[in-house]
Amino acid sequence: MNAPLIGSPATAGTADIRPVEAFLIREARLLDERRFEEWQALFVPEGYYWAPARHGQTDPWSESSLMFDDREIMANRIQRLRHPKVYAQIPASQATRQVSNVSIEEEHAQTGELTVRSVFFMFEHRATLPQPLERIFAGEYRHRLRREADSFHIVWKKATLVNCDATFDPLFLYF
Amino acid sequence: MNPFDLPPRTPDFEALVKPDRVHRSIYTDPALFDLEMERIFGRAWLYIGHLSQVPREGDFIAAWMGRQPVIMIRDGKGEVNVLHNRCPHRGAMLLTEERGNAGSVLRCPYHGWTFRNNGKLMLAPLRDGYAERYRMQEDENFSIQKVARVETYRGFVFASLAPREHPLPGLIEFLGQAGTWIDAIVDRAPDGEVDVSGGVHKYFVRGNWKAQIENLNDLYHPQFAHACTSDKQERQFKRRYGDESGAHLDVAETGSTWDAMKVAGIDWGLSWCDPLPFNHEARGGPLVEEHRAALAKRHSPERVGEIMSERFHNVIIYPSVVMQLASSHVRTIRPIAPDLTEIRVYPMRLKGAPEEINRQLVRYLNITHAAGSLIQTDDVEMFRRVQAGLASEGRDWVWLNRYVDADREGAGADGVRRAPGTSELVMRNQYRGWLRYMREGTP
Repeated sequence: MNAPLIGSPATAGTADIRPVEAFLIREARLLDERRFEEWQALFVPEGYYWAPARHGQTDPWSESSLMFDDREIMANRIQRLRHPKVYAQIPASQATRQVSNVSIEEEHAQTGELTVRSVFFMFEHRATLPQPLERIFAGEYRHRLRREADSFHIVWKKATLVNCDATFDPLFLYF
Repeated sequence: MNPFDLPPRTPDFEALVKPDRVHRSIYTDPALFDLEMERIFGRAWLYIGHLSQVPREGDFIAAWMGRQPVIMIRDGKGEVNVLHNRCPHRGAMLLTEERGNAGSVLRCPYHGWTFRNNGKLMLAPLRDGYAERYRMQEDENFSIQKVARVETYRGFVFASLAPREHPLPGLIEFLGQAGTWIDAIVDRAPDGEVDVSGGVHKYFVRGNWKAQIENLNDLYHPQFAHACTSDKQERQFKRRYGDESGAHLDVAETGSTWDAMKVAGIDWGLSWCDPLPFNHEARGGPLVEEHRAALAKRHSPERVGEIMSERFHNVIIYPSVVMQLASSHVRTIRPIAPDLTEIRVYPMRLKGAPEEINRQLVRYLNITHAAGSLIQTDDVEMFRRVQAGLASEGRDWVWLNRYVDADREGAGADGVRRAPGTSELVMRNQYRGWLRYMREGTP
């Protein structure tokens, strides 16, 4: 939980970007298809998800965040999303995420872990009365990825919305 | 003088607020909302901010008094002023950032009028164009309008726009026993001060401001509206460090264990409620012990026990703010329109407490009270549904009759009205305050 967000000095990246892109696409698809448990399983046990509430926010500990979930809180959030009485999701939101502009920012010498930057757009629709909720989220992802056999695990994922410091209608889904 | 010779806008409030119910139009009528902005948010002690948000000269935060924009700013003498966020010249908003540091002067970008950070006019450029008789530096009509009534309690700054003749008492008397609950929150800090500079959660309620404030001491709703937050043992997820699990949400056909807790209300619509059924006795662990140890450096063992005991859950300082002990935070309620309200939630960090405690306070508040939190989203959905449902004119009334016969309103020698937890006494008490404000202070 207390792992630094930016790790030790990195070497210049030599990693192949294609498996990274494939991984990010697969991750986004799991969220789009509401396969939250499978998505959660992408994280390492000490992994976490962070959506800051302010540009320039240096850590999730000294001030509020939109979301800051370790695996325990992820499990709580997902359990709630699966609950038959989660009224704020009756009807449930549908969403699609597009990930692009992928670049490998750092490749860490000792661990081989990658820090990856990408850009996302997400459209959410909730077909509720009296008016449907329709909204767009856009921002930057940063992933710390650990190589795992043919693929990756997520050490941390940081999703910074362009409007992260805005006032929001209730947020239901991971970006 | 009424230039249009219209009849005065004074609705028959008694026809809208009955002892056990209120009329639906109270949540929907734009004219009533306008009157609330004038007579409630234009009179009451409203929470503006905390001193820790403006520690240095020139530091400011933006705030709202009803629909009116203000700033809270620390001047060169260290005084904290609440100023209308409007240039006295042509009316432009002076500061358009939510927080920042203005330095020693404020300058209007439109024509360059320049003010000290206490609002006083320093200069209006090209002074040859102003006749001598205006004496603009001396005449307060040319300075930024100050909010006249500003008082601070334990670092929390309140302001009121009430005219002198309004019967609103001073802040301390207004808070009454609610002030002791603010003490209980602040005393948790070993240094006796809280810090409210740890960021903010902001979310919209697509509903009326009163739907939010009627919910905050509503112990009838958790086991239903928050059903999705509990497991098969009816236990909520953990909401604080040091707990084994969260509150117990029992759903029984007849009585509720939540009735064992009490709710209480006082004049002007203020209220509070007993602690929620977390397993408080089982709370512990190294952080709780460190907290006790930090307090023990300043207080006797008996006093430490008192400070760490769970004496209440939250206190509503009607109509603008609620403060909570368990999930240490200040929450402000800003009405924007009859069907739109902005909520802001600020973590209260405890000065002098071990850093890890404050980190955990911030962390858990993300889970309980953020725009994407696991609890508030249930409530905000309900407020949205209330507003949507009240578009129906099929029924006129919203019922607040739960435990109405058990009300011992006014009975307590201490002026406190108490009732079982799931009573709607708190809402009835808020409407007693609402009526008083709408009648310009007549009880």
